[in-house]
Amino acid sequence: MNLARLKPGESGKITAIGSIGPLKRRLMDMGVLVGEEVKVLKVAPFGDPIEVKIKSYNLSLRKKEAEGIAVEVTG
Amino acid sequence: MSTQLKVKENAVGEEAKASGKAALRPVEARVITVAVAGNPNSGKSTLINAIAGSRLHVGNWAGVTVEKKEAELEFGGRKIRLVDLPGTYSLSPYTQEEIVARDYLVHERPDLIINVVDATNLERNLYLTVQIQELGIPMVMALNIYDEAEAKGYRIDVEGIEKMLGITVIPTSATKKSGLDDLLRSVLKTADDLAGHAPKKLNYGEDIEGAADFVAQALRKSHPALLERYPQRWLLLKLMEQDSHVMKELDLGRYDFLDQALQHLKKAHGEDIESIMADARYSLASGLTREILQKPELRQMELTEKIDRVVLNRFLGIPIFLAAMWLLFKLTFDLSAPFGEWIGAMTEGPFKRWAAAILGTIGAPDWTVSLVNDGVIAGVGFVLVFVPVIFAMMFFITFLEGSGYMARAAFVMDRTMHSIGLHGKSFIPMLLGFGCNVPGIYATRTLENPKDKVLTALLVPLMSCGARLPVYVLFVGAFFPNNSGTVIWSLYIMGIFLAVMMGLVFKKTLFRGEAPMFIMELPPYRMPSFSSLCLHTWEKGKHFLFKAGTYIFAVSILVWFMLNLPWGVEQKRDSYLGKAGAVIAPIFEPVGFGTWEAASSLITGVIAKEIVVGTMGEIYAPKHEEKEDAPTLGEDLKEIVVSFGTAAKTAVTTLLYIPGEAEEEEDQSALKQAIMAGFTPLSSYAFMAFVLLYMPCMIVGVAMRQEFGTWKWMAVGFVYQTVLAWTVALIIYQGGTFLGLGG
Repeated sequence: MNLARLKPGESGKITAIGSIGPLKRRLMDMGVLVGEEVKVLKVAPFGDPIEVKIKSYNLSLRKKEAEGIAVEVTG
Repeated sequence: MSTQLKVKENAVGEEAKASGKAALRPVEARVITVAVAGNPNSGKSTLINAIAGSRLHVGNWAGVTVEKKEAELEFGGRKIRLVDLPGTYSLSPYTQEEIVARDYLVHERPDLIINVVDATNLERNLYLTVQIQELGIPMVMALNIYDEAEAKGYRIDVEGIEKMLGITVIPTSATKKSGLDDLLRSVLKTADDLAGHAPKKLNYGEDIEGAADFVAQALRKSHPALLERYPQRWLLLKLMEQDSHVMKELDLGRYDFLDQALQHLKKAHGEDIESIMADARYSLASGLTREILQKPELRQMELTEKIDRVVLNRFLGIPIFLAAMWLLFKLTFDLSAPFGEWIGAMTEGPFKRWAAAILGTIGAPDWTVSLVNDGVIAGVGFVLVFVPVIFAMMFFITFLEGSGYMARAAFVMDRTMHSIGLHGKSFIPMLLGFGCNVPGIYATRTLENPKDKVLTALLVPLMSCGARLPVYVLFVGAFFPNNSGTVIWSLYIMGIFLAVMMGLVFKKTLFRGEAPMFIMELPPYRMPSFSSLCLHTWEKGKHFLFKAGTYIFAVSILVWFMLNLPWGVEQKRDSYLGKAGAVIAPIFEPVGFGTWEAASSLITGVIAKEIVVGTMGEIYAPKHEEKEDAPTLGEDLKEIVVSFGTAAKTAVTTLLYIPGEAEEEEDQSALKQAIMAGFTPLSSYAFMAFVLLYMPCMIVGVAMRQEFGTWKWMAVGFVYQTVLAWTVALIIYQGGTFLGLGG
């Protein structure tokens, strides 16, 4: 399961971050870390990007980036 | 060791001597250098604006497109120099902003740091704080947006933070200007005893600390100088992270001791080293947040959530976005246009009359009158007419950013813009481009990634701006009076179509490689402070006026000389401009308008595209000047005041949609007649397409230079657009002739 496949309202726990290099570092700097709870809030009107809640703030990222974030569904 | 390294060592030696000298002077005489760091959206800009006000000096960090703000102020009889660092989430080596911020902190070593922290978003802000602690520079934390945190029912243990980090913490609210004096007092207090205010060394856990000790010992043996030159703890951690920027700077090559230290760490954690370090830092930030922050149990739905339910709604999101964009466009251009026209009329009329009168009384020759009026005053007027629109654009863009809607607009539009290789935030510069390309270029500053920024700026000039419209109107009136709307529309569509095409081409050529990422915070909605908005707008407007103004002025003077040299030239054909037109005219032979008249008009169009019409008027159908009774000084002054009032009224009424009298149409029939003799319908369409596409006006070029700090992108833009324009005109003219549309 990955973050891009969660529907709005669903939450998950991050189990792995697949990307490497600057992208991964950037995600980690924004609080996207293994073990972190993440909740999908919205999908943009045209279907991409998505908005998620993490570390009690709102972050948006493209689905392509979200696909690289493995999650385990928690709710 | 490389020579570069030695040079740096010397520089540091000098610096040490200099600071040694400074220490001998009484502390009061020394300027305290304070770097202001913090996350984006932490209210840092507002805080700096509130403290420094108009003393802020805005420029760029050397060699990059990142804005640099500085201010020198006096507080409590002491001099403080504030240096605003770019807002960053981290001090990693990947974005321009982060590199600028950390290079400043590491190499320039400010006396202390004001760290602006968003009290409503502590954990992520403390992640940056933890990294700043590594530098060992004394820190005063501005716990900003504190009022909002209190209103939300957050209880923050301020003393707890102070104790745990070994720093001073001052709750502030930049928008309400509260806590700022306390903040500055703490800065002074800290500056008086810098050694006593070293921040605490935070414990990153047994494994990391063990590895750090190991690296420190190895370094002490092999590179003792390095430990002196860099903040020690920071250096150790960066080496362990194998930070690409530091590794390159130190040029250490591979060191076995590093691998040895890291091997154990990686084995124990089963991850790569960057993840291990990010985890350690975030654990500290999370732990600290848990200790000091108490949130209310019952959480109400926040305002931001409520607004986003509507603004980002699946069905309402797009209409709201379009409405917001329409409003932005309308406010930017309609509100500023009457003032621009007022400035234009002022320089055209009274100023020129006064200059002529003054020069007349001192008996200056006629050509000086022309130089002053058509060169100097026209040049200054040229710069000034852009001021209202730039002020309006900056004001509304800053408002959109500060309020939080800019991020939403990018969120809504990203899918569409991404398909042509752009970013969601590229939409606004492109949209503004339809009004005027210049504010469009300046609006690219909202894009963070340099790649996105440059690509957007290269495409903005393909949006058909208001200055091209008079050219279309003239030609359409002459050749396509029955299909005028369709023909003009086709040109706008052509510009958009070619922007999409060129976007794809650039993506595959100049900007090949990984597409920039889109990882963006959607900050809470907030009302930006009005004074901060005005200040920001003023800084930008001032910058345009003096920096860009100089170049624009210079080019205007140059064109005046081209038109009026050699001395005493009577026929336009014999002026340098006419001669230059004749020289390049053959280039336009295959595209349908290879005459010196058309070519000369295109040359002057580089100043601003609507000038093409003016030049054509002068060349094709010169008017005989009629002497009018010059108004008196008193009448002129009265007219200036009255017309300003009219401008203000027009600005308001156009916004409110009160229909006024139709504008007077200038009589162009003589010019139209002349043009109909010189062009065919087909060549006129090729000419309009060429005017749309060929090199943007010089003001766009100067704006690009200002935004990117180099002439390179302006040159790229000028060349590609001119080649594109010629090619398109060729296809239209030759294709049309082939299809039997010529003649």
